[in-house]
Amino acid sequence: MNRDVIIEIKNLSRIYVMGKIQVPALKGVTLGINKGEFVAIMGKSGSGKSTLLHQLGLLDTPTEGEIVIDGIDVLRLSESQKTRFRLEKFGYVFQEYTIMPELTALENVYLPAMALGLPRDTCVSNGMNALAHVGLEGRADHRPRELSGGEQQRVAIARALINKPKILFADEPTANLDSVSSMQILELFRKLFRDMGQTILMVTHELEDEGFVDRVIWLADGEVVEREG
Amino acid sequence: MSSISTSLKVSAFLAYRSIAKGNKGTSILTILIMALVYVNLMFTSSVFAGLIDSTENHVIDTLYSNIVIEPREGEVYIKYPDSVMKKINSVPGVIGTSAQYCTFTSIAYEDRSSGWNIRSIDPEDEMAVTTVYDMMIEGKYLSKSDTREIIIGKEISGGHGASLELWSLGGVKVGDIIEVMFKNGVKREYRIKGIFDTNFVESNRLAYITQKEMESVIGIEGMASQILVKTDKKGEETKYINQFVELGVREDVRPWTVYASIVATLTKSFSAMNALTSAIGFFVAGVTIFTVVHVSTVSKRRQMGILRAIGIKESIIIQSYVFQAVFYAMCGCTAGLAILFTILVPYFIEHPLIFPMGHVSLLIEQKDAITRGTGLIIAAAIAGFIPSWRAVREMILDAIWGD
Repeated sequence: MNRDVIIEIKNLSRIYVMGKIQVPALKGVTLGINKGEFVAIMGKSGSGKSTLLHQLGLLDTPTEGEIVIDGIDVLRLSESQKTRFRLEKFGYVFQEYTIMPELTALENVYLPAMALGLPRDTCVSNGMNALAHVGLEGRADHRPRELSGGEQQRVAIARALINKPKILFADEPTANLDSVSSMQILELFRKLFRDMGQTILMVTHELEDEGFVDRVIWLADGEVVEREG
Repeated sequence: MSSISTSLKVSAFLAYRSIAKGNKGTSILTILIMALVYVNLMFTSSVFAGLIDSTENHVIDTLYSNIVIEPREGEVYIKYPDSVMKKINSVPGVIGTSAQYCTFTSIAYEDRSSGWNIRSIDPEDEMAVTTVYDMMIEGKYLSKSDTREIIIGKEISGGHGASLELWSLGGVKVGDIIEVMFKNGVKREYRIKGIFDTNFVESNRLAYITQKEMESVIGIEGMASQILVKTDKKGEETKYINQFVELGVREDVRPWTVYASIVATLTKSFSAMNALTSAIGFFVAGVTIFTVVHVSTVSKRRQMGILRAIGIKESIIIQSYVFQAVFYAMCGCTAGLAILFTILVPYFIEHPLIFPMGHVSLLIEQKDAITRGTGLIIAAAIAGFIPSWRAVREMILDAIWGD
């Protein structure tokens, strides 16, 4: 394996079974992502881009194929090992606002650090740093309902960054945001990539997002294709 | 930090925040339901405990006192009861003794007649061991020198709401003359000096005459059928009995419990009833918590999926729900105890339940309160565990996207 490759997938397939019908969402995808890359997975609706992200993020199990992340064949891990792997090595930003309504912004951010077993003081200081990275240090004690959609998504990004993940997965992170907030989020990703060398894998269907990323992987009908027309 | 303590810490954190920042109305309602379930669990056992306590106290206060001394094996009477009483009264903690001569008689008034037990007493001694003197509802208690006078229980009189109407004397009053026929054939007329109501049907079936009167009937002196002994503490009878034996009391000495078969019968019957109502109570508590947690897990399905996606262990999520359920149960128990002690116990002291064994109010026993509270908490923990465990078994993506 190339030392710079952090994600390597081979012949990855995911077939959904709906009664007697089999729906192939991914058809033998093979690709690699390098450490420190900012990659966008793009394609039309139903092309399999989110499905691919879910397989790589260990949120789903492929029907066939191989996924090696940071040198580990992750499909051989048990469910509890996968959970730990996600906690330690991954950060997630989802399409919709996914922070816990009962927790403040800061508590939402440091929750994964708590789960990692870090002392409370460290959790709080790391949480504040992460919030500072996303420009929300002044909103630490606010609860989600007191934050705008863009701010909530930035809290989710801070939460994704708290454990210094190897890979940040973002599944259409700007889909529910207005254009200004979307731009702020993409700028933030760009900054993380540029300043911190963060590996980012982002699913998006917005063509204009292409300008923010290193590389685009195009998917169509569950297969990697050359750039779509 | 160890994995277990980290898990507990995060679970407790999530549970605390969920309760503290969650829907207050739901929390209050859940705690209220838990409190009512706990009250329900405690109510039957408290009535039962009150009933047992009341019966025991009535048996002691109005029938047998704490310890009964009976004739030696093979003998009909206790000879020289004064000598026995003297020994017993010398034991520290013995409050009093009373020698009684007991016999079965036929008591008649006008055209009504039936059989009743009569005890002869020294009224002054008797006042130290039973409380019948304090329960006169008509007339007066006996005096030492009384002859041809009798006091009778409510059930013999037939008045004052007596329950044994068929066998009673049909509502005799103080001053009425009744005829008593003793086993030796002696028949005498007695003026009713008083009628007592002990609130206990067994002791309300007794009649008392003085020792002096009985001696004139049976023609012998210095004999007793039994000696009742009052001690300062209920439950320490065995200790006193041992001391009596050490002092040379050769008679048959027994605690009151031997005579209180009614208590054993009650215990047996109520234990079965209590077990059934408790099982139903725990089931109701479990179903309530199950429903609350189930609704919560359904409404937080997506959140649970997100938590799992970001690497929070399933066990942490389950524990957080179990902690919440346990919290609700503990608050319910506390609120339930508050309801019991501030509302129900005072109410039933003012308005006791009427049983043949006496007037009964609620008796909250510490052991019962702890056992039922623990049972409720365990039921809640299980009921919190099942829906959350089922919820985290769902595929993460299904939980997040709601398939």
